[in-house]
Amino acid sequence: MESTAGFQKKMISCSLLDQDKGLRFRPGDAREWTPEWDRDKCIRCGLCFVYCPDGAVFRNQEGFFEADTDKCKGCGICHRECWFGAISMFKEEE
Amino acid sequence: MDKYTLYVPNFLPCKEYFVPEKNQACPGCGLALAVRQTYKSLGTAIEKASWVSPEDGLPADAGSGLFGAGRTAVSFLSVPKSAGKLLICFDNEAGGSLSDALEKPMIQLAVSQGFSYVATACPSYPFDLYDKMNQAMKISADAYVHVLCPCPPGWRFDADFTVKLGRFAVESRAFPLYEVGAGAYSLSVKTGKPRPVSDYLRSQQRFEKLTEQDIAGAQASVDGAYRNLEARVQHYLDAVV
Repeated sequence: MESTAGFQKKMISCSLLDQDKGLRFRPGDAREWTPEWDRDKCIRCGLCFVYCPDGAVFRNQEGFFEADTDKCKGCGICHRECWFGAISMFKEEE
Repeated sequence: MDKYTLYVPNFLPCKEYFVPEKNQACPGCGLALAVRQTYKSLGTAIEKASWVSPEDGLPADAGSGLFGAGRTAVSFLSVPKSAGKLLICFDNEAGGSLSDALEKPMIQLAVSQGFSYVATACPSYPFDLYDKMNQAMKISADAYVHVLCPCPPGWRFDADFTVKLGRFAVESRAFPLYEVGAGAYSLSVKTGKPRPVSDYLRSQQRFEKLTEQDIAGAQASVDGAYRNLEARVQHYLDAVV
């Protein structure tokens, strides 16, 4: 993000925006769990999109939601917040 | 499934301003969630914003007081407006003690320091946060917003409970959501039947050593603080009528 890079210098409480240190890996690389949407239960309300801390959830062309595997860290907030239990977390096979 | 037409992102701007491709935020970071929602509501105004340390973010005489004393590790985002500035405090309670979780002196300090709009927000209530940020940008004077960000490794809970912990904090009245505009207090989220504070404290492992007496004391102090707040709200309502 060019527009935001200039002011992400001082962050006192944690290294959230410390981009110099994070250059070695993508956020999704260390992911243990991956969300999966059950399309029968999903009503496409978009709460998973609102509550994703990393902006990894996006809407695909059919109107359903998916996680960008490069950004998703597998925190499970979407799984916990889905009203309809449509999101399950599974472990990725190597 | 076509009968459901509610689409939540319609209430928020879809453009993402905070998409760090590479960052070191932990999974389930409440701070990242709050920053993302804040950036969404501020829009293009974030291009002029800057992260400041507590010393130079605040009026001079406040810096040496509670803000500078290292009571809580907080991050401040300063956003210049056409008149005045908006100061946002992202508080993840990195101090870790019980008083950090229950007492928020910065909010009262900001009110007494002459900020004309002061509000508390939590990313578990995204539309409330969105409205408050917009309101703070609209007012042509200094504004202050205090955002509570649950921190999974700091508070020691599972990463998927971030949003739920923020909700616990508000429902148990430990962190009531309210706003102060021109001396008028108003509650944003009314908790008719509050959740016990022990729910909020016991779900964090950093408080696992608290005794029942500590919990009872915390409950009493939360109740007292909330009664004070209600009295302030009522005082304003009486003055209007």
